[in-house]
Amino acid sequence: MGTTASQLGKDLLSEYQELTFLTKQEILLAHKRFTELLTKDEKDLPNTRVPMERILTLPELKSNPFRRRICHVFSTCEQKDGSLTFEDFLDLLSAFSDSATLEIKSHYAFRIFDFDDDGTLDSGDLEKLVNCLTGETDDTRLTVEEMRQLISNILEESDIDKDGTVNLSEFQHVISRSPDFVSSFKIVL
Amino acid sequence: EQDLVKEFVALSTRDRIRAIRDLPMSFEEKKHIRLLSQFFRRCGYSIRSARQTLELWQGIMKEIGGKFGTSVLSYFVFLKWLLMFNIFSFLVNFGFITIPLLVYDPLPNIPPNVSFRGLEILTGAGYFNHTVMYYGGYSNETLVGLVEYNMQLAYFFTIAVYMVLCGLALIFSMARSFKTNYVLAESTSNGAWQLLCSWDFSITNERAVRQRKSNLRVQLKESLSEKAQMELLTLSEKLKHFGVHLGSWLLSTGLAVGCGASIYYLCQYEQQEAETLLVPFVVSLMNLVVPLFYSLFYKFEHYSSQRTQIYALVVRNVLLRMSILGVLCFYWMNVVAKKFSCWESRVGQALYRLVIVDFLFLMLGSFFGEFLSNVIGTRLLPRLGVPEFDIARNVLELIYAQTLAWIGIYFSPLLPAIQIVKFFILFYLKKVSLTQNCQPPRRTGRAAQMHTTFIALLFFPFFVGALSMVAYTSWSLTPSEQCGPFRGLNNTFSVVGVWIDDLEEIPGSQWVVWIYQHVIRSELFYFLITLIILVIMYIFWQVTQGRKDLIGLLRQQIVNVSV
Repeated sequence: MGTTASQLGKDLLSEYQELTFLTKQEILLAHKRFTELLTKDEKDLPNTRVPMERILTLPELKSNPFRRRICHVFSTCEQKDGSLTFEDFLDLLSAFSDSATLEIKSHYAFRIFDFDDDGTLDSGDLEKLVNCLTGETDDTRLTVEEMRQLISNILEESDIDKDGTVNLSEFQHVISRSPDFVSSFKIVL
Repeated sequence: EQDLVKEFVALSTRDRIRAIRDLPMSFEEKKHIRLLSQFFRRCGYSIRSARQTLELWQGIMKEIGGKFGTSVLSYFVFLKWLLMFNIFSFLVNFGFITIPLLVYDPLPNIPPNVSFRGLEILTGAGYFNHTVMYYGGYSNETLVGLVEYNMQLAYFFTIAVYMVLCGLALIFSMARSFKTNYVLAESTSNGAWQLLCSWDFSITNERAVRQRKSNLRVQLKESLSEKAQMELLTLSEKLKHFGVHLGSWLLSTGLAVGCGASIYYLCQYEQQEAETLLVPFVVSLMNLVVPLFYSLFYKFEHYSSQRTQIYALVVRNVLLRMSILGVLCFYWMNVVAKKFSCWESRVGQALYRLVIVDFLFLMLGSFFGEFLSNVIGTRLLPRLGVPEFDIARNVLELIYAQTLAWIGIYFSPLLPAIQIVKFFILFYLKKVSLTQNCQPPRRTGRAAQMHTTFIALLFFPFFVGALSMVAYTSWSLTPSEQCGPFRGLNNTFSVVGVWIDDLEEIPGSQWVVWIYQHVIRSELFYFLITLIILVIMYIFWQVTQGRKDLIGLLRQQIVNVSV
């Protein structure tokens, strides 16, 4: 514990504490787990990016059906390859932590579900979402007719302004009626 | 200056720096304020980290959440909460009632012919009867040591304050979870909710993820086909459903009443030592078997939604347990209280036995209920499959166990100690049983909302029942004359009257006497208070109605504007 603390530096640690919803232990644990992902050469460099494939070996993310989307949303890389720096990683953990607010959580949930990054959930996004949730192979998928019915049901219920898509505020409206969301939108290291 | 510091602690770093810069003060003062606010922020952080380090069973909780999801985890959170609650009750009772007595008189005065034989651990009688475990072991004297300590008053006020604190804690936690979970949630829409916010990100286990996906798929398909078939019920089918419902309600209520009556007759035969275990044994057996019988009903009944089905099951189980406990309390109040010389200790022993036997049955229940049905499901009849963890039944068992402790608090002040051990072992037992034998629940209802309803539905009858039982005992029953802190009094409450009479002679305490005579003993006061509360409730009810109308109007407006 002592060595990791000295590696992170006291100022940096308190800065991270101010900027995230994480406690000191959580940040130190995150740092430890993150450095384990680095190769020997990378450990000496500051601000290394860890490629997505290596991030996805973490057991907390490995079997999550949205793992790729999560990496893409939290990555600040310009090439959009889903690689994460330590600070991106902290951002991710902060949004999924216990003390993050409903607003933060629903914002990131919306971005995770917005597969084409166009700012609304249209029927294409919803179809991908359903496939993620039920499994992607051919025998587990819903039929075309079922999918059409399902998506029209969702839009009927949540698309208040009837423009054929679910936007962020409509999404947050659905979420606000579901108190379980805060407890289930959670990843703890 | 303090207000300023308080304000700055809540701000983010950049805002704080700017706000401090804007202050019309000298450099020295600004520096001082900055240091102070930084110090408080640091303190806040360290308190948060310390709390996290002290958190019990963090790793186990994470493991359970990762394999079984949030809804099963909520059972374990509840169990942990109850454990903390009992530790608190134990500290209160031990600190204010037992320690003063032990300091004054450290050795229990046990008659020479009584020795510890081992069976006492089960029956709670014999040796234990002469220790501080029960009401009878406490004296009515004023202990004179460094200060004068009036045991009667201490006993009365500790129990009273403890009950009030329990009630307040329950009401506040219930109100909070109602506010966040119930008011906002609407039952009408389901599809959108199922898709947009049902995924449990905390699940990390590969198999659990696969299972959840297939469950979700089945649920989606079902909900689509249900929508198509909704209006196909004919009148005769409706009548048939109604008949089946009525029949099963009558049958379950009849069973509950029958169980209660048979317990009453069984109580008459309670005799010496080992025989006393018969009643708790039968009670626990009923609590184990009859719910299994109830859960068979759903094979014949058709409920429109799964939630109604669960609620019906819970209400039936509550009725059963309430009737059994009610009959037992009636027996204690009316028969035991007149028959035995030291009847409070007798009741304490009966409760002790109930607690212990209930614990044994909980262990057996998770062995037979979960382990055996796992073996049957995997080896003999694969059709049945691996059992699911039944959250409703398990939560109900916890609440029943806690109710026993509440009723017993007056008769056996150290019962929370037994309860602590019980819950501690139960946590590990359930964890092992869960990970070895069970699969995650197939249907994921709205866990938080259901949890709130459980707490309200179950705690209300159970806690209020226990409270009224203790209150009735201390207001209306004559305490036994040979033992206990209240010997020689007409009822327990008159200890306050005696105390007030003493106070009248001490100058400067006239206001206490005045309050006692004009507030606590006056009917007019309670009449006025009730009236005022009724008026306030009516006003609040009107305000909520108004808000409901307004929400409806606003919703209509959104649709109108966007179309």
